[in-house]
Amino acid sequence: MSTPEISQEEIDAIYPQVAEIIADALGCDEDEVKPDSSLINDLDAESIDFLDIVFRLEREFKVKIPRGKAVEEARGDLSEEEFEEGGVVTDAGYDALKSYMSEVPEDRFSKPLKSAEIPKLFTTETFCKMVLREQKSDS
Amino acid sequence: MSEHFRAFSFVDRILSDETGTRITGEYQIPAGIDEFPQSLVAEAIGQLAAWSSMKAIDFKCRPVAGIAGAVDLISPVRPGQTLSLEADLAEASEESVKYGGLATVDGEPIVQLHDCLGPMVDMEQFDDPAAMAARYDLLINSGAEAGAYEGVPALSYEITGGQNGETKEGTFTIPEQAPFFGDHFPRNPVFPGTLLMNLNLRFALELASEISGESGVWKAERMSDVKIRSFMAPGTELGMMARVDEVDETSARILVETRRGKRLTSAARVRLSRKK
Repeated sequence: MSTPEISQEEIDAIYPQVAEIIADALGCDEDEVKPDSSLINDLDAESIDFLDIVFRLEREFKVKIPRGKAVEEARGDLSEEEFEEGGVVTDAGYDALKSYMSEVPEDRFSKPLKSAEIPKLFTTETFCKMVLREQKSDS
Repeated sequence: MSEHFRAFSFVDRILSDETGTRITGEYQIPAGIDEFPQSLVAEAIGQLAAWSSMKAIDFKCRPVAGIAGAVDLISPVRPGQTLSLEADLAEASEESVKYGGLATVDGEPIVQLHDCLGPMVDMEQFDDPAAMAARYDLLINSGAEAGAYEGVPALSYEITGGQNGETKEGTFTIPEQAPFFGDHFPRNPVFPGTLLMNLNLRFALELASEISGESGVWKAERMSDVKIRSFMAPGTELGMMARVDEVDETSARILVETRRGKRLTSAARVRLSRKK
């Protein structure tokens, strides 16, 4: 499965809108939202906030972001079984995830990595890339 | 008598259901109760959408209160009136239901919901899937007997601080026991988000009365960016805060939020207008 290439310029272009949406959804100041902020660890986001942010992004950017799409795309050509075993991301899955989520600082990828902990990796830029991927796949 | 489907259920009949897409129904507000706040009209629309979404996924999950982009509070209702309810669902999956909806009385709009999203939770943890499926069948076939709801116990908060006309702080302790917990939800009692919404509205109106120096001058027109961030169990103490965000001669916008400790549990913006 191939995913569209995203440039830093493209991310920068939509970043202010995405950061504003995240700040609104989390009820925090916009200057607290940084490109590499972990939404869960740094901004105190909960699962409902992820739904809220995606919902707001869909409305703002007129795209449809399917649930679970990020992890599905991160798997690339790996099957679900090759990506994780017993709730833990496999070595191959780990490498695929790091490559796909290149915006996430390297030191945040712990090993072993539980699948349930993947959302903790999501940063503001991760959401920018989600929007851009959907915009490109729609065009 | 069990409170299930009685103490906090606001759909008497499903009139049509294009499952997962569009649903219509009705609810007769019992004549013998003191009041039926608009927040419960919003609850009725949400419950109607919930029935269609649960049917769409064979009652594996149920939605809970989450997000409302906007709630238009158009007109009050009186006990004894019958609400005509409709909801359009943009999504009904095992993750969430997205919908908007409208409640009317005799063709006149009462409350309209826009861009709502309810996260789905495992039905088994909150309710009996078989009982829910049977209730759906009852609602869409013969309909349920009207008049089961007997009101909710008086809920009050305590004012603890704030600056006159600018901010207000308070505390609210969710009761340990109340009939609605038997219905919301039988296996896992949770304080209904719409009751919290009603408290937040009252709190905002109390702050607004300080702006003008008299009560009864303002009415709430719209709540927007309404969000319930976590489950609130019986007995939980919540801190309340309201802050005037914008105000002019004819309207005001007040931000309201509740916290459990430091953790934000709910938030909304309330737009008010001066009564003419």
